[in-house]
Amino acid sequence: MDLSLLADPGFLLQNLVDGLSRGALYGVYAMGFTLIFGVLDILNLAHAATFMWCAFAGWLVMARSGLSLPFGLAAAMLSGGAIAVALEFLAFRPLRREGPAGGAAADKLSPMISSIGASIIMVSVAEACFGVETRRFPDTVLDPKPFIIKAAWGLRISRAQILILAASVILMALLGLFIRRTRAGTAIRAVAASRKASLLLGIDVNSIIVLTFLVGGALAGAAGILVALLTNNIVPGMGSQIELRGLAVVILGGMGNVEGAVLGGFLLGLVETFTIAYLPGGSDLKDAIAFLILFLMLLAKPDGLMGRGKAERA
Amino acid sequence: MLIKKSIFAATALAAALAAAAAPAAAPLPPVIKIGVVETLTGDNSAYGISIRKGIELAAQEIVASKLLGSSQLSLVVADDKADKQEGISVYDKLINEDKVSAIIGPTLSSTAFAADPIAQSAGVPVLGTSTTAVGITAMGDYIFRDSLPQAAVIPGTLAAVAAKYKPQKAAILFESDQEYSKSEAEVFKTALAAQSIQLVGTESYNKGDSDFRTQLQKLSARKPDIYIFCSLVGEAIPVLQQAREIGITQPIVGGNGFNSPNILANAKEAAEGLVVGSSWFIDSPVSASKAFVAAFKAKYGSAPDQFASQGYAGLYILATAIKNSLSADRAAIRDALAKIKGLDTTLGTFSFDANRDPVCQSVPLVVKDGKYALFQ
Repeated sequence: MDLSLLADPGFLLQNLVDGLSRGALYGVYAMGFTLIFGVLDILNLAHAATFMWCAFAGWLVMARSGLSLPFGLAAAMLSGGAIAVALEFLAFRPLRREGPAGGAAADKLSPMISSIGASIIMVSVAEACFGVETRRFPDTVLDPKPFIIKAAWGLRISRAQILILAASVILMALLGLFIRRTRAGTAIRAVAASRKASLLLGIDVNSIIVLTFLVGGALAGAAGILVALLTNNIVPGMGSQIELRGLAVVILGGMGNVEGAVLGGFLLGLVETFTIAYLPGGSDLKDAIAFLILFLMLLAKPDGLMGRGKAERA
Repeated sequence: MLIKKSIFAATALAAALAAAAAPAAAPLPPVIKIGVVETLTGDNSAYGISIRKGIELAAQEIVASKLLGSSQLSLVVADDKADKQEGISVYDKLINEDKVSAIIGPTLSSTAFAADPIAQSAGVPVLGTSTTAVGITAMGDYIFRDSLPQAAVIPGTLAAVAAKYKPQKAAILFESDQEYSKSEAEVFKTALAAQSIQLVGTESYNKGDSDFRTQLQKLSARKPDIYIFCSLVGEAIPVLQQAREIGITQPIVGGNGFNSPNILANAKEAAEGLVVGSSWFIDSPVSASKAFVAAFKAKYGSAPDQFASQGYAGLYILATAIKNSLSADRAAIRDALAKIKGLDTTLGTFSFDANRDPVCQSVPLVVKDGKYALFQ
C-alpha cells in the first residue's frame, strides 16, 4: 500500500471520476440485461454479443460512412433493438410454451442454452465479417484530448467520459419514466409480476415481450457504442469482457431490478478502479475483489442491493 | 531432366569433395518441406503476416538463385492464432503428417513455450524469428532463434536512453498473463538497476483489457522520468494513446512488441518519441539489408519491418544449414544450424552462440515523424 497516494486528493478525485464513468457503462449494459430478466425470468446470454454488434454498427456508421456521433449512437441503439427483437423471435419465442403456471421451471433452461448458441453464432459471424483485428475510431469522431480542470487538482475528464456519464443518467431517467409512468411500462411490470395474470387481464403478453427486447437491446447498443468510445477498441470478442461483469452487476443490484443494476454498476466500477489504484498488484486482483464482494453479497442479501421480492421487480 | 539431375549430382559431389571431411551424402531431395507457424489472424497478426512476407520473399529468392541446387522449398504455412493449444496442434500436424524438415516460428514466446517442446522431443529443428523471452532456446538443443533475446537488446537500449535523458526514476507497465511481457519486464528491471535508475512503480494489466488509465495514473503519480511499456500490438496502441491522454509527456521506452509500424500508423502522434531496441532498421547500412528492402518493396509495395527482416534472414539461415548438411534430415540440419558462423544476413554478420541464441547487432531506435530512426 502506497500511503503517499492515499494522501493525494487529486488522485482520489481522478479515480472517483474514472470509476464512476466505468461504472456508468456497466450500469447501462446491465439495465437492459436485467430488464429482460425481470420480464421473462431468463438470462439472455446473447446480450453481450448484441452489445458487440452495436459497437460495430456505430463504428461502421462513424468510421466508415463518416457520419457524426449522434448518428453513431442512433445506429447502435436501433441495431441493438432490432437484434434483440430478432433474438426474441428466433431464439426465445419458439421455445416458449405457456404452461398452466405461465411456464414451467424446465422451460427456463432451454432459452438460456439457445441464447448461448445465438451468442456464439453472432460472435462467429462478426469474426467472419470484420476479422479479429481491433477496429478503432478516427480522432474526428470524438476528440481524445481530455479537459483538464486546474481548480480540481488538475482533474482530467475526457469527452467520452462526459458523454458516458450524461448518457447513463439520461437513459436511466428515461427508462424509469417509461416503466413507471407509461401504459406500456405498466404493462411490462404487469407481465414481469405475472405472465398468467397479465394474459387473463387481456394484455398482449407477446407484444410486451417484444417491446422489452426492443428496449433492452437498445440499452445494450448504447453500452456498446459508449464502451467503444471510451476504450477505442472494437473487436468481436469485446463482449466477453463485460459479460461476466454485467451478470455480477445484475446480481448485486437484485435480479430484474433496473435501479439496482445502475447502483450495482457504479459500485463495481468504483471497486475495480479503486482496487487497481490503491492495492499493490491491484490489476491482477480487480476481478477477484469484485467477485468476492458479489459472493459476500449473495451470502448476506441474496436478493441484491435493491431486492424487494419478485412482485415489484422491473 | 536427366541432364539437370546429373548436373545436380555433380554439384553435390563437388560440394561433398570440397567438404573433405564430410561423408559422401545423398543429394538433397527434390522437395524440402519447411513448416512456417505464425500468428496470421487477430491483433498479433501484425507481426506474423510481416514475418510470413519476409519468409516467402526469401523462399522465392533461394529457389531462383539455386542456393539448394534444383531442390524446391515447400513452405507449409500454418496459423497459430496466438493460441497455445492451436500452436500445439499445428506443430503436431506439421511434424507427423506433413513431415517437415524444420519449423520456423512461432510468432509469440507464449506459443513457443507451449509448442516447441513437441518439436524438441520429435527431433525437429525450430528456428524462432520473433521470440524474445528469456528461456526460449533453453527448452532444448533443437530450438534456435535469430531474434535477439531481451537480455541482448534491453541493456543497450536503456543505456542509450540513460545517456540522453539522464532519468532518475522509471515506471513499468506490462501484461501480467503473457510470458513475453512478463519476461521483458523482468529484464528491464535488471537493466534499470544496472543503470542505477530507481524503479518507482510497476503496474500490470490482463489480456483483453482496454482501459489502462487507472494503472497509468497510478504510475504517473510517482512522477517517473521515463516510462517502460511491455505490450503486444493490440494493447500497445491504446496504452500509448491513453498515456498521452492522461498527460504523460516523459520519454517512453517500448519492448520488442513496439517494433511494428502498425503501432505507429494507429497510435499516430502518441507514438512520437517512443524508443525501442531492434536488431534491424529500415536504413540499415548492411548490404544484404539494402537488397532485401528493395526486393521487399518491389514484391509487396510496402516497406518491411524488423519482423519481416528477421523472417527473411531466418529462412536464409535455415537454407544455408540445409545446404551445408547436404541433407533434409532433421538431425543433420540441427547440427548444421549449430555451426552457423559469420553468415551475411539482413541482420548483419550472423552467428549462433553456444545456447543457439543469435549473435548480431542491436540498435536503439526512436519514432520520428511516424518512422523508426536511429536513436542518438
